[in-house]
This record gives sequence, C-alpha cells and structure tokens, in this order.
Amino acid sequence: MGDISKPVRRFDAPEKIMGTARYVDDYFEEEMLFVRIVRSTRPRARIKSIKLPKLPSGYCVVDKNDVPGENRIKMIFDDWPFFAEDVVNFYGEPILAIAGPDREKVYELSNAVKIEYEDIPPIYTIEESEENKRPPIFGENNLFADYFYEKGDPDGAFRDADQIVEEEFRTGFQEHIYLEPQGMIAKYEDGRITVFGSMQCPYYVKNALIKAFGFPEDRIRVVQTTTGGGFGGKEEYPSQIAGIAAFCAYKTGKTVKLVYDRAEDVEFTTKRHPSRIRIKGAIKDKRVVGIEVDIALNAGAYAGLSSVVLQRAMFAATGAYRIDNVRVLGKAFATNIVPLGAFRGFGAPQAIFAIETFMNHVAKKMGEDPVRFKLAHRYKKGDTTATGGLLRSEVRLPEITEKIIEMSEYYEKKKQKEKDGKLYGIGFSMFLHGCGFTGNGEEVLKSIARLKKRKDDKVEILISNVEMGQGPQTTLRKVVAQVLGIPMEDVIYENPDTDKVPDSGPTVASRTAMIVGGLLYRVAKELKEKWKEGEEVVVEKQYRHPEYIKWDQSTFKGDAYPEYSWGANVIEVEVDPLTYEIEVKKAYAVFDLGTPLDKKIIEGQIHGGMLQGIGYATLEVMEFENGRFKQRTITDYIIPTAMDAPLFETDLVVEPYKNGPFGAKCAGELTLVGAAPAVCAAVEDALGINLYEIPIRPEKLLVLMNKEDN
Amino acid sequence: MEGLIPESLDEALEALSERKFIPIAGGTDLMVRYKRWKNLPPSFPSLPLFIGHIAELSGIEKKDDEIVIKAATLLSEIEQSPLVPSILRKAISQMAAPGIRNMGTIGGNIVNSSPAGDTLPPLYVLDAKVVLLSKNERRCLFIYDFITGPGKNQRRDDELLYEVRFKVPKHTHEMYRKVGTRKANALSKLSVAALASSRDGKIDDFRIGFGAVAPTPVRVKSIEEKVKSRHVSELSDDFINEIVNEYGEWIKPIDDQRSTALYRKTVALRLLRAFLLQLKPV
Repeated sequence: MGDISKPVRRFDAPEKIMGTARYVDDYFEEEMLFVRIVRSTRPRARIKSIKLPKLPSGYCVVDKNDVPGENRIKMIFDDWPFFAEDVVNFYGEPILAIAGPDREKVYELSNAVKIEYEDIPPIYTIEESEENKRPPIFGENNLFADYFYEKGDPDGAFRDADQIVEEEFRTGFQEHIYLEPQGMIAKYEDGRITVFGSMQCPYYVKNALIKAFGFPEDRIRVVQTTTGGGFGGKEEYPSQIAGIAAFCAYKTGKTVKLVYDRAEDVEFTTKRHPSRIRIKGAIKDKRVVGIEVDIALNAGAYAGLSSVVLQRAMFAATGAYRIDNVRVLGKAFATNIVPLGAFRGFGAPQAIFAIETFMNHVAKKMGEDPVRFKLAHRYKKGDTTATGGLLRSEVRLPEITEKIIEMSEYYEKKKQKEKDGKLYGIGFSMFLHGCGFTGNGEEVLKSIARLKKRKDDKVEILISNVEMGQGPQTTLRKVVAQVLGIPMEDVIYENPDTDKVPDSGPTVASRTAMIVGGLLYRVAKELKEKWKEGEEVVVEKQYRHPEYIKWDQSTFKGDAYPEYSWGANVIEVEVDPLTYEIEVKKAYAVFDLGTPLDKKIIEGQIHGGMLQGIGYATLEVMEFENGRFKQRTITDYIIPTAMDAPLFETDLVVEPYKNGPFGAKCAGELTLVGAAPAVCAAVEDALGINLYEIPIRPEKLLVLMNKEDN
Repeated sequence: MEGLIPESLDEALEALSERKFIPIAGGTDLMVRYKRWKNLPPSFPSLPLFIGHIAELSGIEKKDDEIVIKAATLLSEIEQSPLVPSILRKAISQMAAPGIRNMGTIGGNIVNSSPAGDTLPPLYVLDAKVVLLSKNERRCLFIYDFITGPGKNQRRDDELLYEVRFKVPKHTHEMYRKVGTRKANALSKLSVAALASSRDGKIDDFRIGFGAVAPTPVRVKSIEEKVKSRHVSELSDDFINEIVNEYGEWIKPIDDQRSTALYRKTVALRLLRAFLLQLKPV
C-alpha cells in the first residue's frame, strides 16, 4: 500500500460537519413554487374519475397530459410512467401534482382531490405473480425477466450424486434511509429545462428528461446538488421526481421545488428486491459438485432496473466457489408494490446470503467445519466462474481466511456456548463481488472522463460521477494529484453539471473508483505528458474494456465482470434466551479490494456497509400487508443506530487490479454482501438450528425455538 | 402557528377554564402525532398551550415519605436524580435518545397514555398517584385509575397534570426489561417492571406491571396477592405455572408493525417467570 492509501482530510467533510453544505432543500428563490404529488390510494385499480378542487390563481395541476414528450421514465423497458394513465399499479403511484406558491395551500388542495377507482384484483407476492391467476400486470405472465445459464453438466452431476440437498431461502425488503430525502428543483428558462437535485446519475436524469420532453439534448441541463447518501436509492428513482418537477416548471414558467417528506420517501421510493432462492446441490465425496440455483425476485409494479439486478444476483449465485456443473435460473416478477430497485449490492446480497447459508448447512450435514468446507470449494486463479469467465488475478481467499480466523479467534470462540447468561454464537462468511457494471454494461456505457488543466495550473476533474458520502471528492482528487505530482488542493472537482461534464456513467456498481478512477488515471498520465505551464490543456478519454474480456450477453457466457473483490466476515452474536433479541457484539472483516485509495475512507465504507448488512439481516423489517407497507415511517422502519453497532476489527489484503487506479478494485458494495450470512451463521450457532430467512426477527426465532422444544 | 404561552401555572389554569387547549411541554409526542407535510407546522386539534417553561411545573422533591415529580420535569432530570427509585430511572434511561429525553417530560408520557409509554409500568408498580389541577379543583388519582385506554385518561379539558407522587418502596428484588425494536430511539414491543421483597424467606411484597401488551399497562393486584405472604419455598413449578397462566388471561397484545401478539405475550410471561424464579432460593 503506497502513499495513495495514506488517509487525508476529506474534502467534503468541513462543510458537512459545519452544516454549511447546501442540499437541494436549502435552495430558495423568490416566487418559487412548491409541488406535492397526489398519489394512488389503491394498490391496483382503474381510475374512473378525478375531481379537482377549485384552484386559486397561481396554483396549477400537472398530470399525464402535461408531459410534452413520452410519459415514460427512461430505463431499460420504459414501462414506468411519470404519471399514472388509466390504471394505477401500486399504492402511492403518482397520478397528478399540485404546484403553487404556498405550501400550506398546496397541501390542502392536494388533499382535496377526489379520485374514484375501480379495483382490479392485486398481485403482491412472488407466488401470486407466478400462479398468474389474476389479470397479469406485465405481458402475459408477469415476468419482467426470465433468464437461464448453464455450465458443465448439471444433470450429470445430479445423476451421479451421493446425495442431493435442496433448500429454499427468503430475503426481505430493505429501504435505503439515506440521510437526505429525495428532491429536485426545476426551472424552464430560455427554452431550456434545468434540474438541480439529489442524485447518483446526472445523465440518467438527463436522458429521462430528453425522452419525457422530446427536446434535443442541448435543451436539458442536470446539476447534482450535494447529496446526503444514496445507496442505490438515488440511481433510477430521481428521474421520477425530476420529471414531475420539470413538467411543473415547464407549465408554469416558474422555479419549482419538489422535495419528498421522509414519510413519502420511506413508503413510495424504490427498495431492495425481496427474493426466494431455491438451491439444489449435488454432493459427491462430501463436496458440492453440481448446483442448481433458482432465483425469483419480487420486482414491484414496473420493470425499472430489475432485469439487471436479477443478472447480478444470478452471476453471484455460486458465491466464491468453484462448482463445475451449474444451472442458474432467474425470474423477476411483477407485483402491485412500489417498483423495487437499486440498493448497494444490487441483487448480490440476496444471492450471497443464500449460497453462504446453503454452504454452511451442507458443511454441517457433512460433519465438516464450515470454514474448511468453504475453503475446499473456493475459487483459485485460473478457475472459470459460474458464467465461464476466467479468474486472471490471484484469489487470496486462503490468506484472507487465515487472517480473519486469527484476528477473531474463531476456533476458540466457536467452542463457547454461553456468555453472560446469553446464548453465544459465531459465524463466518466468504464472498466476492464483481466490480463495475454487470455483463456488457461498461461496453454499452463507453464512459468519457476529462481533465482540464487551466491557465492557472489548476486541474478540473470533469466527470458525471457524484460524491454521496462514499468519498470520490477525496479519492479521485488524490488519484489525479498523485499522477500529476501536484497538490490535491490544486485539483478541482465540483458537483457535476451536464453542461460541463461528459458522461462518465452513473455512480453505481462500485464502479467510480475502479472504472472511472482508472480512466482518470490514464487521462492524468496523458495530461502529464502534455502539461504546459500557464496554458489550458484538455485531455479526454473514453473507457474501453480490456481486450481480453469476453462476454456474450445473449447466453450469459464469459467474463461477467472485469475484476472481482473478495472478502470474509466473522460475526459474534449474543442471543437473549428469554426474548431472542440478537445483539451483534463484534464484526470482523478482511477484504481484498485492491489498493485502498484512502484507508480511512475504506474503513468508513467497511463499517457503514457491514452495519447496513447487519441491519438487513436483523432489524430492518418491512412487511407488506393489504396493499401497503406496515412500516412506513422511520419510527417503525428500524435501521441500526450507533448503539446497535458492534465493535469492528478490519484488515486488508491487497491484490491490485492493473487497470484500476494504483491497483484499486471495488469496495462500496462488497462491504455489505457478507454481513447477513455471517450474522445468520452466528445465530444458527447460538441456537443450534438452521435458518433460511432474513431478516432474522426475535418473533420468528421464538416460533422456531418453540417448535424445536416440542 | 398560534398558541398561548402562559407565564404562570395560575395563568395556564385560568386559560384552561375558558376554552379548550392542547397542553404541550416537550412536544416529543405531539409534534410527531400532528405532523403533516414537510416544512409545515403540525396541525393541533386545538390551540396549543405551552407549559414546558413554567417553573412551578418542574422539579423533583422528597416530601415526607413521598417522592414528588412535577409534570413538566424533563425525563433526563428524572433519569439522573438520586431521589428517584432505580426502576423508574432504568426505564427512562432506555427511552428514545438523550436529545428526546432532554425535551420530553414525565407528564407528557403519562398524559399521552400510550400502552407503550415506558414510564407507565414503573409508575404502576410504584402505586403512583397523579395530581390534576383546574382553576377550582385539585384531584388525586392512582395512575391505574387515571389511564383508561390507549391514549385515553381521566384528564378533563380544564385540567392540567400537575405532579406525580409515590412512596419509595423498600424492596429486595427488582427487574426492568424493555424489549424494543433496537437499542436506542426505539418504541417498546413490550416492557416489564417488577418489584418484590422477601424477608426471612417470606415474600412480603410483589408487584409487576406490563407495558404494550394490552390497551393499557397491565397490573393485577389480585394475582399479586396470591404471591404475597408466601414463603419462597412455596414457589414450586406448579405454583409458578399457575401464576403465569393467570397473568396470561390479562395479557392481550396485538399484532402490529413492531411485533406480534404471540411474541409479546410469550416474552412477557417468560420475563414474569424469570422474575418469580429470582425470588426462589438458589
């Protein structure tokens, strides 16, 4: 770990700590209009009539008829409307919006809108969607995506197996709870739409507005405002808000603000997909030699990004293990729930929870220690992945495992059964994460990064990737400064404005440091050669996948990702024998995420990611009942507080990626994916039972333990 | 937003004698309950009467054999006061988070009368009385007579909760358990407060209260009587089972967004059993 890893003061820290950072809701203008969305109060219905209150002057209604271009949010299938047309497909779907100068009045008017519905039988669960007994929501069979891939001879492996183990796993919803709720400000001036707001992907928003307005691209401008967290929640959803705000601005000619109330944000924005994952393993000589993984995602009312989330889940289906005979099936089901979307890990947390827990269960069945069992199956350099991609770099899982076992005193603690009157358990997980966009994503994106050396010898980073707490304001400055040999303070990196920055792709998929950072590294190298003091020099480069990467998107064969990060987690829990409350006491992590671009920022990512994963496994309960979420405030949707955080102990192993800046790989999502299975293994160890579902609620444990007792 | 800020208790009572107000001290429940949309003030059902600043409504003192806590005393002050029995302090220390405890008041928690109000089970087992004042009257009621249902109590519109008072028990055993949704800023799934005293093997005091398991906190004196005056050696498995079953008749929780009825009931009874077992000689 060279100089680059040495922590520096974060560039965004002072303004955030002092409270001077300006988030979208901090901007005000004279004569600004406020917008409130009127939403469906039915999960699935035909809109029969809409009765509007009398609108005072200065107030207006904006709905589907005010969309100048196409009433569809640009994503993959473009099935998601900005405003409902004749049918609503989830509780909370926007039907119209009211804009006006006084918030109080806007609130009153929006509550006075009367909508008559004719209900259509709703579909909520994967099973209901699968049965297809009610009128389908999407296509003829409710499937947004239906995929399949194979490797080796899975049928042969099952035929020759000593034993076949079949299990079914379930994972729940997860809500992002970024600190800053979503919001946008829109203007229409001189024939141009400008939108400012909280977002991860300025060009997603721009492209959505181009389609929605039917404008040429030079008439749309998108500017990111300081963003208080995203976690994937601000990947695709901001387009919905930007559209509505922009339609209001277009209709009124005024600046309009649409910022969600926390309750709206919790209930009506995207969340992590619930899943049902069935795994069937063919066991021969105490090893898993064949596997079939069948992944079903509940995708909600519109396709959104679900097909790609499903792909990442499918490509992570065998975890960190080499299994030569593989069949993976995947389906994304339409239901009458808010569209499910991007969330840190993007399908991988569901798949990794399932495969890790499956491997634990099989190890126990074989009478083997799960750590050794997993090590025996782990990937090695030169192996091919489930999709047949080649692992070109050293896979340092043995070293990672050795470190974490020693650090956590795993085997000594494993003997322990009780601690301070509590049931004690310890659990281990081993996993990988594919870095950057899934499949051919990076090829399609063809990201462009630009550096502009100004006459004053300062250098501007011109990319569309955003700071949302994960640190690029600091790490990317470090990369550029170090290559150029200039002070970090001489590198300027402002919140992106699509009028100024090229499209370097979205801030997602743990791609910013490795892909965009790698591109910037190469741009900086070239700039260094072209450097002329006192003169302006601009260098720009387009991303190209390394030539050795082979991928066939139609068969899912080849290198699903250009590189992988790896990790292991150990979690210690204490379970109260009376109440089954789970206390996560200690969390250990060893990761190979390549060269850390700043050790402190990486440590922050590890603590935050693991805690979010621990919440996913334990506290974060979101139940859907009678067409609505039961937990729809931050009083009821529970994420861990500092008091719930365990003590963390972390270490790194560094296997650099040659195309990453200074050898950096991916970090942000990796830190989340292994926590849930380690928590699950620890609780299983404490209680001596097998578990198949997260979140692991005390309520569920009580029922399971009562069954166990009888 | 409109409201009245009286300068004294008398002025507050005078105002209440004239029209209906919603008294508001720390606002930690009311601001949330009546919130509307972002950046809008809450919409109270009647004019707010701000009482959090009135000096006569704040303070903790020992009067004869009683502890008297004025209604607008901050939760954090009670949490830190050595005069206050530990069972109440423990309960308060697990409420919300320091910021909320620095705003919220004990009177607010009582008048809010939520089945999950965390000061209530300890106040029930302390046999606390509440004193209500109106312009011309002073009433004193046991807390379990004062609270009548979820969010319902005997306060009349012209009254203010003035103080809560109780005798300090001389107990040998104590248990407080809050089972919340997480460790801080959490509402209770259920809570249990229990006190008992055994001297020379004889149980001369036994009180237990349960929160969030019925429309109001649960305390059943008739069952307590059965435990009282027993010798600890009489706490047989059969006897304990009988007591647990009897409480089972009173504990009638619901399924909601925080927990399930089954969990609440089972765990409440498990904690009861654990407390009874504590009284048994080792």
